[in-house]
Amino acid sequence: MGLERKDDHDHEAWIEEREFTRLETVYLTVLVWLDKRLRIVDYLEILENLYYKVNMQMPKSHTEQYGLDNKFWYWYPLYALGSFSTIAYIVAAISGALLGFYYAPAATGASGDPSIAYESITMIMTDLNFGFMLRSIHRWSAQVMVAAVFLHMLRVYFTGAYKEPRELNWLIGIVLISLTLLFGYTGYLLPWDQLAFWAGQIGVEMSLSIPLIGEWVAQLIFGGFTPNPATLQRMYILHVFFLPFVVTALIAIHIAIVWMQGIAEPH
Amino acid sequence: MTGTTDNSEVRTDGGETGIVPPDDETPSWSERKERKQGLARTTYEYFERSRREDQDLRQQSDYIERDVLGFPTWPHEMIRNLALTSFFVGMIIFLAATLPPHIGAPANSGVTPPIILPDWYLYWSFGLLKLGPLNPDLALLGGQKLMADRTFGVLANLVVVGAIAIVPFLNKGSARRPVEQPFWASVGVFGVILSVTLAALSVKNLLPIDAHLTFDLTFLLPFVGAFITYAVLKSMREGYMFELNRRYYRLRPPK
Ligand code: HEM
Repeated sequence: MGLERKDDHDHEAWIEEREFTRLETVYLTVLVWLDKRLRIVDYLEILENLYYKVNMQMPKSHTEQYGLDNKFWYWYPLYALGSFSTIAYIVAAISGALLGFYYAPAATGASGDPSIAYESITMIMTDLNFGFMLRSIHRWSAQVMVAAVFLHMLRVYFTGAYKEPRELNWLIGIVLISLTLLFGYTGYLLPWDQLAFWAGQIGVEMSLSIPLIGEWVAQLIFGGFTPNPATLQRMYILHVFFLPFVVTALIAIHIAIVWMQGIAEPH
Repeated sequence: MTGTTDNSEVRTDGGETGIVPPDDETPSWSERKERKQGLARTTYEYFERSRREDQDLRQQSDYIERDVLGFPTWPHEMIRNLALTSFFVGMIIFLAATLPPHIGAPANSGVTPPIILPDWYLYWSFGLLKLGPLNPDLALLGGQKLMADRTFGVLANLVVVGAIAIVPFLNKGSARRPVEQPFWASVGVFGVILSVTLAALSVKNLLPIDAHLTFDLTFLLPFVGAFITYAVLKSMREGYMFELNRRYYRLRPPK
């Protein structure tokens, strides 16, 4: 191929000649520009292929086919619980990120003095505009998420939706519910008030009671054998760094699997 | 894919490659398979087999082709979920506005508060930590406990989670509705009630019930609930299954 373009391939001339609207022209120019550099048309083709495979080959459902739907319609609203968990998670993530702008985890020690963490919470609640509401939203979305996840699990159980081919999603679900509870627990410790401190104490004792590796676990997760500033720091990192990544990824996988498999039918 | 519509023979070897326009040089899936060895080859062979299976199933069945037995997530499920989203977020905000959380006294390692509790959703787990009386002591060890009570409690937590995890590997088959499997439904009810009674056990000093009674009820109530569920579903089952089977088999007579 020579350096000179053949007319067929002169896309700019084609755009001009066709007299597109302004919007179309801009769109096409950007598309052509990107495609020349990144070959995005190839990827669009793959996506299109995928779309047709995922959506178009999914025909009339079994239940519709056999007119069985009136036998279980009263279960149906419960099928929204999985998305409710996701939505509550998103609300918690947004309000949590905003809270994170003002919260600092440093505690001045287990000697009994009020800590920086505690003070930053009271600051959020009393001085910050909308801060009390923000904390309230974060707290409630977390509670609601846990409730929704529990109920979601029950609906999956009682509609038998965990059976083949969905066992893997059930297992991922077990991990998700455990991590959700852990999310709640680590968050509960962050205000570093009396309840937080003594809930931390219980956590330490639980890890200490694991045979053989108990002390090591307590050191790793709680940074000591009684709740102390290191504990708070670790809970903070778990709560705002570690768990968000892991849980978000797992939810994405969980839902992707649902998307591929379709929602289980009652028969 | 493209180019297969005019052929009477449907290709199950993956057809042409997607991206590069095929020419005579482009290897098809089976040609690529021929060039491979070992695991890669087995993989291609399996792909071909499963494609073939899909294709056979499609041709056998008299209804529109499908790969997966389920409701399509989009739009079937998502439309409803999206419609409910704003109500749901509204509910969270409403709760947050009307019942804001308060904060207790700052942490003080010197003062043990009279009531130590986690959030409500961990009560069941907290209750499991209080199962000391069930921890077996062996006569051989002179009445010594096999493990500390708190180790026992942590173990109980693991057992519960493990039991939930293996459910799909114990209960197989295509039954979905509780009426079809009264036993598994009653197992579920057992679990739900147990989680509630365990939660009650964990706050027992707040309940106006005798502590021993609470402990006994914790394990008695789940059995009662499970039994009732079983009885009810079992008696519903006959009539229900008859109706269901009739409509089902009328449309799809057994072979
Ligand atoms: C963070 C927690 C979770 C999120 C965000 C989540 C999200 C979802 C969503 C959106 C669906 C689609 C169907 C529906 O909405 O009901 C789904 C389905 C499913 N979930 Fe979850 N889930 C979570 C936890 C769990 C748990 C704890 C389990 C069980 C142990 C579980 C097992 C399943 C199974 C087996 C399905 C497929 C059900 C079907 O096809 O009908 N999930 N999940």
